[in-house]
Amino acid sequence: MNLVVAGLSHHTSPLELRERLAFSNAEIPSALLCLHKRLGDAGVVILSTCNRVEIYAHHAMEPDEFRKEIRLFLSESHSVPEEEFRDALYEYENREAVGHLFRVASSLDSMVVGEVQILGQVHDAYIAAQAEQTADKVIHALFQKAFTVAKSVRTRTTIGEGKVSISSVAVDLAQSIFQTLSGKTVMVIGSGEMAELTLKSLVSRGVRSVLIVNRNPERARALAEPYRGEPIAFEDLNDHLHRAEIVISATAAPRFILHPANFHHALKLRARQPMFVIDIAVPRDVDPAVGEIDNVYLYNIDDLEQVVAENLELRRREIDRGMELVEYSVNQFMQWKDVLVAEPTFVSMSEELNTIRERELERTLSALPDLTETQRQEVAALTKRIVKSILQRSVVEIKHEIGHHDPNTVLHLVKRFFGLKDAT
Amino acid sequence: MAIITDIAFYVGTVLFVAAALAAQRFVRSGKPAMLDIAERLLFMGMACLIVSFILRWAHWGRVPLTTMTDSLGLFAVLSGLVVVTVLRRREVRSLLYVYLPPLAAICLFAAATAHRNLHTEPKELSGILLIIHVGLALLAYALFFVASMTSFVYLLQSRRLKRRSVAAFGHGAPSLEELDRLLFRLVGYGYPLFVATLTLGLVWAWVDRDLLGHYWWLAPKVILSYVMAGFFAITFHMRRVGRLRGPKLATLVFLGFTVLILAYMVLSVMNLRWHYFWSAGA
Repeated sequence: MNLVVAGLSHHTSPLELRERLAFSNAEIPSALLCLHKRLGDAGVVILSTCNRVEIYAHHAMEPDEFRKEIRLFLSESHSVPEEEFRDALYEYENREAVGHLFRVASSLDSMVVGEVQILGQVHDAYIAAQAEQTADKVIHALFQKAFTVAKSVRTRTTIGEGKVSISSVAVDLAQSIFQTLSGKTVMVIGSGEMAELTLKSLVSRGVRSVLIVNRNPERARALAEPYRGEPIAFEDLNDHLHRAEIVISATAAPRFILHPANFHHALKLRARQPMFVIDIAVPRDVDPAVGEIDNVYLYNIDDLEQVVAENLELRRREIDRGMELVEYSVNQFMQWKDVLVAEPTFVSMSEELNTIRERELERTLSALPDLTETQRQEVAALTKRIVKSILQRSVVEIKHEIGHHDPNTVLHLVKRFFGLKDAT
Repeated sequence: MAIITDIAFYVGTVLFVAAALAAQRFVRSGKPAMLDIAERLLFMGMACLIVSFILRWAHWGRVPLTTMTDSLGLFAVLSGLVVVTVLRRREVRSLLYVYLPPLAAICLFAAATAHRNLHTEPKELSGILLIIHVGLALLAYALFFVASMTSFVYLLQSRRLKRRSVAAFGHGAPSLEELDRLLFRLVGYGYPLFVATLTLGLVWAWVDRDLLGHYWWLAPKVILSYVMAGFFAITFHMRRVGRLRGPKLATLVFLGFTVLILAYMVLSVMNLRWHYFWSAGA
């Protein structure tokens, strides 16, 4: 049986195509059952995220037939003609498929390397397959191993360190200045998506109060409401600046609205306790000279983006170390899977040896009629121990040989040696 | 007993160095377990130096504080105690890798002179007031030393943030707010001890004034000590009322301690102390 992954990702297809072929959470159970049936009761998992649509299958079909079924399935499920996605579709078998899943789960294959969401998405895909009973023994083992590898990559490399979004970088920087954000006050000047995202991140980390400064009082009230914040008129900005530990400025003003004098005044009023100023306005709201003042830490949008870029670069440098861990785990898994192929042979070996044992035991016991019941049982136990010992040694050696040679050749020889069925 | 004293001292030094190396491993690996190991090694190192100190005290029947080896060893132990107390706050545990290397260097410096000093009879300090004076002085210096290391980290952190550099100063470096709070506390405890040291010194000098001569108060070290007391008083007050905080405070604390130590060393080398701890007969 083959272990295969087929699908498309951000590496091979544009977002428009991925969107059309994606499965929603509600669609996945029926899709799993449908695919399970189409692939001849194969073990199946569907991983559908914004960056990839992938089908993991453990099946006994011919490769061409499998490929055809997958294309048909995707095409029919989404009413998208095959020609539109045929070129974007990739397929990996066995060792490559295992390595691919391990890389995906470890976030080594992600658009943003080291992001944490993918592991949860892989986990959800596996749970859905479990719920629909479309995951067989190999698929179970594969995904369990993928979770272990992902955790190992995360803990043994620094791939997850350093934030890679503007808002999370801002929160990280705030925490380098203030030990805790709980009890701190944030002032937002102006409005905008980025400002709101940053504010949300800060509030989720325990920021106590929010001051919203806007030229339009109505707008200020509306922005302040979700955070139970305090709206402040733009004209009163200077009187309230000292109250904030963190200032986010995002106005559309054509000139600087905050100057060194504003901060000198604020610092005096707040006993020179540090202030973190995030200027995400373009053109800038805060005079760069403010950054020269002691106890004021000024970051504009370029600075934050530079931090993001540097963090991403640091993560990319860790990819090689992550790949080494993946490679090692792929070897481990493939060894386990190869040995799994031998399981029916081991069962046949055991049956064959026990048949011989029983036949010989019967012959011996009939030749020794004077033996007591206890002695007969002792002899029977002795034969069982001999068979068990032969089996144990043989299984260890066969597993070892399978790990180093072609499993089919090894198993063929074993079958011939023990005179098992289907040995030619 | 002399052999046990030697072994305890040298093993203590080795343990301080090992603790510093373990803490440096934390910088590379980021594994908090390395900090735990470093802390345990520090504890063991301190215990060894204390054993060596007590054995010398018991052997000679007088507090061994007058040789460079003795005073540096005790200073390392007291600094270690301050460090261990500081590290009770988990937020600043990573500072261990900043505190330990200079402490290990001090121990090594003391060990370099140990072969000569550990077997010499310590000079007798004239009176209990002087013994307390020297002990308190070493404790105050230990607090200022840890404060100066903390201010050094503050300056590096602040500089990194100002330069928008992503290269973090080690793993889990404390926030500026936490460093500032720690700095304030260390100076806050160190300053009263320093003043108490000077006051005791004054009382002793008054009681034993025949020993130091008529113009003992003009000794450069005495004048410097009072200048530094004034300096730390102003610094501490400015920080308390909120007129001095952040990089400026950190710079002043760092420079204050450095100047104090360098000046004492220069005065010692030039033999300008006019400030003898031991009795004339010894």
